[in-house]
Amino acid sequence: MGAVAVLPGEVRAEGVGKTMDETTLLLPTDVSADPGECIVLRGPNGSGKTTLLRIIGGLLAPSTGTATIGGREADERDRAVRAAVAALLGAPTTYRDLTLIDHLVLIDSTWGGDPNTSDDRSQALLDRLGIAHLDDRFPHELSSGQEQLFRLALTFSRPASVVLLDEPEQRLDTAKRQVVATLIDERTASGATVVMACHDPELTAALATRVVEVVPAR
Amino acid sequence: MSKRKKPAGATRASTSPAGHPASDSAFSDPTTSDPTPPVALPPLPPHPSTPTTQTEVDYDDHDLLGQADWVIGGDAARKARQQGLYAGYVLFLGALVYGLPIVQAVFRTSDAGSLGQQLRSPVAIALLVASVAALLGAVVFAGRFRGPVVPPMPWIDLVLPAPLDRALALRRWWRYAAVGGLFVGALSGLTVGAGLAFAHLAGVVTVIVTTLVGTALGVLASRLWLWSQVRSWPGPDRSLTLLWRVPDALRELHAESLRAHSANTSTMAGSALTGNLRTARLALTRPVRHGRSARLRAGRPFGVLVRRDVLGLQRTPGAFLSGLGLTLLGGAVITWAFTQPAAPSIAATIGLLPLYLGFGAWSEGLRLQADNVGTPSLLGTTEVTEAVAHVTVPTVLTVAVLGGWLAVAAAVGSLPASALLSLWLVLVLVVAGNVLAAFRGSPTFVLRPQMVAIWYAVPALTVVVLGSVIAVLTKAGSYTWLSAVSWLVYAVLAWSVSKVRRLTYLHRS
Repeated sequence: MGAVAVLPGEVRAEGVGKTMDETTLLLPTDVSADPGECIVLRGPNGSGKTTLLRIIGGLLAPSTGTATIGGREADERDRAVRAAVAALLGAPTTYRDLTLIDHLVLIDSTWGGDPNTSDDRSQALLDRLGIAHLDDRFPHELSSGQEQLFRLALTFSRPASVVLLDEPEQRLDTAKRQVVATLIDERTASGATVVMACHDPELTAALATRVVEVVPAR
Repeated sequence: MSKRKKPAGATRASTSPAGHPASDSAFSDPTTSDPTPPVALPPLPPHPSTPTTQTEVDYDDHDLLGQADWVIGGDAARKARQQGLYAGYVLFLGALVYGLPIVQAVFRTSDAGSLGQQLRSPVAIALLVASVAALLGAVVFAGRFRGPVVPPMPWIDLVLPAPLDRALALRRWWRYAAVGGLFVGALSGLTVGAGLAFAHLAGVVTVIVTTLVGTALGVLASRLWLWSQVRSWPGPDRSLTLLWRVPDALRELHAESLRAHSANTSTMAGSALTGNLRTARLALTRPVRHGRSARLRAGRPFGVLVRRDVLGLQRTPGAFLSGLGLTLLGGAVITWAFTQPAAPSIAATIGLLPLYLGFGAWSEGLRLQADNVGTPSLLGTTEVTEAVAHVTVPTVLTVAVLGGWLAVAAAVGSLPASALLSLWLVLVLVVAGNVLAAFRGSPTFVLRPQMVAIWYAVPALTVVVLGSVIAVLTKAGSYTWLSAVSWLVYAVLAWSVSKVRRLTYLHRS
């Protein structure tokens, strides 16, 4: 994809808020995260956690404040920002004619992964998440929990200095939540920055460097 | 079950003049002398726990259906059905005002003798047969999702569970489709025959023959449509004999199948009206289950995206074959239009649509890329690189088909250089049109059916109109104008690329 600046995983959101028409989706909020940190966003439903994550990921322009990734404005149109941020925000659209392993190989290849070891890497990731035996299934053949694990696999299969996760624990049993916790821990240990919305107190206690309370507008 | 067979000696439930079983008298108060006739109540089926000497009850299905009609719609239901007649009248006027002139234009040429010979050639007859087969195939395909018998949901949920003869309860929807098929077939045959006659390519007898053939095809199409609807749900009798056993075919329709077809109709109508074509596409496409053992081979980004599309077509043979059929048909007509002097200019217009649609059938990767717009980036390629990779496979396949037809044209006659240039421009147009179609996004204007239809048709119209202009200019030998139009074609390509970029980043604002 040509020469693209590699951005460090410094996430800064200063006074970012979002208002659409008359409705306030997110009150001005500050988030600061450095490489190796895991910041957990906590707050009741509708407080604006997903909106905040979308602003940090550059998918949504804030109404107030500024958000930056590695010192650059968080804007998904910027190739450097796109290269830096991996995000699981809602359901990614999958190819209905590709199996799970094909999806991971495709993503790995488009990020310049070594073709000789792409299959092994993809299989290993599925194995870590406990869905290696489903490698030849199509996405529409998964249960909701398996689908969530597959979405996490898609997100973790690409390189990133910033990982944004919106409730990664949803629809997962306790054992699988532990697996996800380990994967996130490994990412932060390798120097990535993780910002995630989470409702699981155990996961929060195990992973959070800091907790940011997102206050609902009303 | 209008007339169930009864065992000998069984007591028949006597029916009052109003059509109610005599047992209904149990509902009236014997102590009153109110002369008011009893309120109409449906006959009660014998409850298993109720001691009775009856083993079966006869129902007057027509009476029950009449009551249901009255309860659901009153007189409005009857009036609504009469609107079908008005639709037929409008269709007839449309055929007279538009159909006939268009067919005349199709066959109008400076060399009627050569055109007549070519239309009677084995290749032309084979193409005609293939087109009819493709149309009937499309009818069968459509019947899997939306058959001819689609009653409203309340009818399915509230009336069909009653112990009525299903053939009778569903007959009216079948009749709409059957009469519609017969009418449209006859009208199409009449229009084509009259067009041929007006263009002095055939006599009056041909008009009669084409009308009869059109009528027969209309009847066949409607019955195949029903047969396909029956086959969309598992059951004991799915044989071809249902084609002429229509009441049995109607009895084979499962309530769940009817509900699914009704829901599909709502989805399609809703998607069409709101311009949300993705919902309709994903709801109506069959889940992929083929070729799961094949693996996507890793490699460089562009190559792996191209291989993704090849693998996708391997796993969806229906999409591959429908694309092949349409492209073969469109390619044949267009090649004929550009290489044969006797071919009327409008032939290119007719051939462009199947060529465009055939390319589209092979472009699932492109559409899926557009579906992903607005979601966090998963692939490490730019949007334009990804789009170019996704049009590679359909472009190569289309070039192969057009190349094959050009080889045939060269073998049987001449192959002018202008035809090659024009076909190149048509190819660029088809690619650009499909990119525009995939990245058309959502309508941003006030939703009105006509505006949504125009918005939806813009890519296809662009291809058909510009392609037709190219055909006219090529035949006229106006190369100066043709070069000007070629810039327009490249402008459409640039427009499509800008649409890819714009839609990809539009979601942020």
